[in-house]
Amino acid sequence: MTAQAPAATRAPGWLRLPRGANGVGVLGIALGLLAFWLALPPLASRTVVVPIAVGIAAAAAGIWAITRGERRVGWGAVVAAAVGIAGGILATRSSVENLETVVVWGALAAATLRAATPLTFAALGGMFSERSGVVNIGLEGIMLAGAFFGIWGADRTDSWVLGLVIAMIAGGLFALVHAFFSIHLRADQIVSGTAINFLALGITGYLFIDIYGEQGTPEGVPQIPDVRLGFLEDVTFIGPAFSQLNLMIWLSFACLLASYVVMFKTPLGLRIRSVGEHPKAADTLGISVYGIRYLGVVISGVLAALGGAYLSIGFVHSFIQNMTAGRGFIALAALIFGMWRPFGAFAAALLFGFSSALAQRLPEYSESAATLFQTLPYVLTLIAVAGVIGRSIPPAAVGRPYKKQ
Amino acid sequence: MADAAPVLELRGITKRFPGIVANDAVDFDLRVAEVHALLGENGAGKSTLMNVLYGLYHPDEGEILVSGKRARIHSPREAIELGIGMVHQHFMLIPVMTVAENIVLATEPTRAGVLLNYAGAVERVREISDRFGLAVDPNARIENITVGQQQRVEILKALYRGADILILDEPTAVLTPQEAGELFEVIESLKSQGKSIIFISHKLNEVLEIADRISVLRRGKMVETCTREGATEDSLARAMVGREVLLRVDKTPARPAEPLLEVEDVRVLDDRGLEAVRGVSLAVRAGEILGIAGVDGNGQSELIDAITGLRRIDSGRVRVAGREFEHASARQMLDAGIGHIPEDRHRRGLVLDFTLAENIALHDYAEPASSRFGWLFPRRLIERARRLLREFDVRGGAPETRAGALSGGNQQKVVIAREVSRNPRVLLAAQPTRGLDVGAIEYVHRRLVEERDKGRAILLISLELDEILSLADRILVIYEGRIVGEYPPDASEEELGVAMTGGGRREEVAV
Repeated sequence: MTAQAPAATRAPGWLRLPRGANGVGVLGIALGLLAFWLALPPLASRTVVVPIAVGIAAAAAGIWAITRGERRVGWGAVVAAAVGIAGGILATRSSVENLETVVVWGALAAATLRAATPLTFAALGGMFSERSGVVNIGLEGIMLAGAFFGIWGADRTDSWVLGLVIAMIAGGLFALVHAFFSIHLRADQIVSGTAINFLALGITGYLFIDIYGEQGTPEGVPQIPDVRLGFLEDVTFIGPAFSQLNLMIWLSFACLLASYVVMFKTPLGLRIRSVGEHPKAADTLGISVYGIRYLGVVISGVLAALGGAYLSIGFVHSFIQNMTAGRGFIALAALIFGMWRPFGAFAAALLFGFSSALAQRLPEYSESAATLFQTLPYVLTLIAVAGVIGRSIPPAAVGRPYKKQ
Repeated sequence: MADAAPVLELRGITKRFPGIVANDAVDFDLRVAEVHALLGENGAGKSTLMNVLYGLYHPDEGEILVSGKRARIHSPREAIELGIGMVHQHFMLIPVMTVAENIVLATEPTRAGVLLNYAGAVERVREISDRFGLAVDPNARIENITVGQQQRVEILKALYRGADILILDEPTAVLTPQEAGELFEVIESLKSQGKSIIFISHKLNEVLEIADRISVLRRGKMVETCTREGATEDSLARAMVGREVLLRVDKTPARPAEPLLEVEDVRVLDDRGLEAVRGVSLAVRAGEILGIAGVDGNGQSELIDAITGLRRIDSGRVRVAGREFEHASARQMLDAGIGHIPEDRHRRGLVLDFTLAENIALHDYAEPASSRFGWLFPRRLIERARRLLREFDVRGGAPETRAGALSGGNQQKVVIAREVSRNPRVLLAAQPTRGLDVGAIEYVHRRLVEERDKGRAILLISLELDEILSLADRILVIYEGRIVGEYPPDASEEELGVAMTGGGRREEVAV
């Protein structure tokens, strides 16, 4: 076994603490981020010296780790140091008022959760599909279908619960189409998934114009309620972040836990993973490869549709054409960045959610920087796939159709 | 034991595929607590018969009786329920999962009805592995244990499912001699506890060592069933091939001349950037066969790649006929006079979708006879291929036949024809008989000795100790990327086996 970043070990490795040179590297990454944070409110160090000093310490820790063989973590620390110093310099140069309008940690945390929730649902769904061996690039289209049919269902039945149910059914059906093409017909899964994306774009666009026309979705459609936690309201940071979140955000946390338990603590999860790693081995033991794969893909559709429905009837309160705007792809990126594991994918969704929450607030500060910020998820995913910080290894049989003898 | 009732009986099994009869009215029976070996060449129908038994194929005619009762087996699951377990030649294990997870998969113990009881699984695995003497750590991940241990996991998988009949498909093909010895002990222990074993092989010596009875399949027909006492290697080989076979390679002592291939302190990195070849030095002289013995994955593949220019040499020198090469391309090495019979003929030896004529022209398509000014002359390729196919006795294909349509033995003949016809000074033969049957092995071995006698320097790299011992004039043992000893051709199998696993290391040899 070669040394690897701690996150690369599989369940229950995510609990393990890094040690030795690896630990120093992780410390370096933390220091690099600290360097940036020191220059932001509420501390807002006004001198450049502090972030630079902390950043240099971070780089030193990184280099120390590199020389002791922990290359990936070490380079990660060096990169974090560079980002920290650059961010620190930029922050100390701008005025405190500007900074404070952008960086309000409690509000930022709530915005992060709001932006991360659709990604979490879709990424968890994607995990079920990909762990069973089917690439589901159609998540984007399925989310869009969930968004449309969610609001249409809520409008028709006058109930957001039934809206959610209808969204889940629609997502499941779209996923079933993808499953049929990629499992039974053994079509190329990327082609089939792309077709799903365009199909969903066309169907939702057509139905939207046909049903709602120029006016768009009506005002009075039932919404998924927020959960108010009054007793939390006055607590610093926690209050603004958690006291008033949409029900779907809490549901995404429940889904996260349930996904983890199902995937790693039940026979079903073991079977899903075995089919994604070595379908023939599973087949010779009497596991139905097709059955498990259908299940995985349909679960992915149902969860992605929940993420889409949250967008339309939980967050934006309306539907517009192509409103998912690439979130399905970002969810796939989160899945890869999170190494096909539930908590990893959730952490990545939070990170991507944070970057888009920041991007929403940055225009007050700099229009161009905000646009640039939106590319962050893709840049990070490229880094993850290239293996700079703990290489991300997909399930062995993902994307490969299985043919019974 | 001979009067024990059969636990399994196959009666008149016939299985047809388009164009061939893979099993032709085959009778086979297995008694309680016996090892019954099934012997046959590739394509003789062994695998088909076992797949019928394991529910992967359905026979066109015939019946299967398990413990005297007629059984219909439509899927592996039904076979498992009847107490039949199969250890596949290519292991059906999931590398990233633990031993215990692999064993209990699809029949998992649960807690509270829905949760996986992993601790219980580990406990059960320990219990079974203690009972049958199959030591293995239930918590280890498959990718981190040796091939021998992986095979034990496969056997445990069958035992965990309550198998009384075990089918072992070519179980020693992937093992070192030591591991094979351990496997035989395990088989004895299984036998003593009442398990019945079908042992599939094409290695005559081990069949004679382990089996109580031996059945031989030839072209789909059962030609002979005899007890171990009544069989010899020669009689079995004759039954398998249908004619007299020369098992021993006839060769005169080597008369080595000047060194044609010299490798000096070569270091090579593998795909992960780790040093796979750690300072190997060797010299192969004209008119000798130098054999390199070793367990798979000890740097052999990287060494071959380095010498043939397919992989960058990290440090060190390679000289062909006195000319030194540094970071040479594959073409430069071939032009320098190296012929290469690659270890994986499907991936590297041939383009399976190309015709034989095209495959034969892969090296010299740009030479004047085949092409001129970038213009290819297909008819000349075909003419040359026709001549070579005749000369090298390739059967079952014309120059226009797709390479993938030939049998393994004939494919290998095409590779040899291409490489030898270029008249190389040095011939690199990497596992030249892998997956070939007795008749084809005989041909390849004879041919290699002939080429030696023509004055070529031959470097033979093989995982089969038998092959090294019967062909090589000198033997080097490679272990963890280093040459750990040089042995004469009459070295004992045990001696080499110990060296191959890192034991009894002699002083480093620089030849």
